[in-house]
Amino acid sequence: MSKDTKMRATINQKLTEMGERERLKELLRAKLTECGWKDQMKAHCKEVIKEKGLEHVTVEDLVVEITPKGRALVPDSVKKELLHRIRAFLAQHAS
Amino acid sequence: MKMEDMPLSGPDNTKLEALVHDIYSELVEDACLGLCFEVHRAVKQGYFFLDETDQESLKEFEIVDQPGVDIFGQVYNQWKNKECECPNCKRLIAASRFAPHLEKCLGMGRNSSRIANRRLASNNNMSKSESDQEDNDDLNDNDWSYGAEKKAKKRKSDKNQNSPRRSKSLKHKNGERRIQTSEYNYNTGINYETLGPDEVRSFLTTQCGVISEHTKKMCTRSQRCPQHTDEQRRAVRVFLLGPSATSLPDAEAVVESDSFDIPDGQTLMSRLQWEDSPDISPADSASSKASTNHSDSRRPKKKKRTPLSLNAVGGVGGGGGGGGGVGNVTGGSSSSSSQSNISLPTKKKRPKLPAPSISSTYDDLN
Repeated sequence: MSKDTKMRATINQKLTEMGERERLKELLRAKLTECGWKDQMKAHCKEVIKEKGLEHVTVEDLVVEITPKGRALVPDSVKKELLHRIRAFLAQHAS
Repeated sequence: MKMEDMPLSGPDNTKLEALVHDIYSELVEDACLGLCFEVHRAVKQGYFFLDETDQESLKEFEIVDQPGVDIFGQVYNQWKNKECECPNCKRLIAASRFAPHLEKCLGMGRNSSRIANRRLASNNNMSKSESDQEDNDDLNDNDWSYGAEKKAKKRKSDKNQNSPRRSKSLKHKNGERRIQTSEYNYNTGINYETLGPDEVRSFLTTQCGVISEHTKKMCTRSQRCPQHTDEQRRAVRVFLLGPSATSLPDAEAVVESDSFDIPDGQTLMSRLQWEDSPDISPADSASSKASTNHSDSRRPKKKKRTPLSLNAVGGVGGGGGGGGGVGNVTGGSSSSSSQSNISLPTKKKRPKLPAPSISSTYDDLN
């Protein structure tokens, strides 16, 4: 287990140090905006806000409402693209 | 699905695959959080719902598409047809012409003073024989009369032509600018042909009457007009009224002949020998402005008088005087100064004049 944990930590570290993580993040955001995921999520936000009231909505409320839905709504193509890139990185840099 | 995506080796791969998925999940969550923060900030700052306006506001700011009106619904040439009432003259003036009109109406601004000056100047040109000075003042003060403006423009050419002359007349008249050179005063000259003999006589008693060579009109200035010499006046009278019918000198001739009778023949003789005349006599020392030479003041009268007086007196000197008058050549010895005062017209007219008189006097003598 600790080996596993160590390995994870190492990979994460590498991911961050090499800037891959940022690159992946940007890639994901771009793809999600492109495919309309962001607009969908915003509409959902409006519903939540109207439900909760404009004055009293908090970040937690939004997070709790949005995240699960967001995860589910990610298109498959985007998901696959990302997974591919991560695997490629791991294959390249895994010890 | 690509084969590459599938993990190749066994247990490690599952771990790796799990790792991959974990990493992926992390990334997605990160994206969601980012969105949440963004929305939350927009809500709290108040710009989240900007694109949603109510129907009423939408209608109010709708794009207008009517003719004669811009997209905001405003009329662009609204002030074009408006008229304003001038506070000075109480007329209705178009809005775009209002400012220039006010400038002229109130007499302020550069243009209006220029126009007024021009009108004033050209009114001076025509003022002599036209309306009274009072009328002219009215005309000049009233900036508002368009007619006067038009007149001023037409007469501008006159003004320009006259300017050297006018400055000349200024010298004589001590700055009195109203008087205009008669020669250029086309409207006020008198044509002697149109006047009858009585009219001519009456005219000549009061006015200069010298006929201008340019216009063939008679000068309407006074007897002492600086433009013309006494010699000219005498010549004109002779020309118009005949040698024996001069009005003004006649009366004086009678008087003067009486006075000269007393001094008598000697002075007469000496006088008669002179070319032009016996002007220089001690008795007559009245001087008029016109004469530029010494005491030649009363020459015209005297000159005219001499033959007449000779006729009246019947003296010997009469013919001599006439002869002296004729012969400029003979007169050369005597007063040459007076000779210079003879202008051409007189020169021409003189020979005619004395000739009959000479013959008549000699006849008388003989």
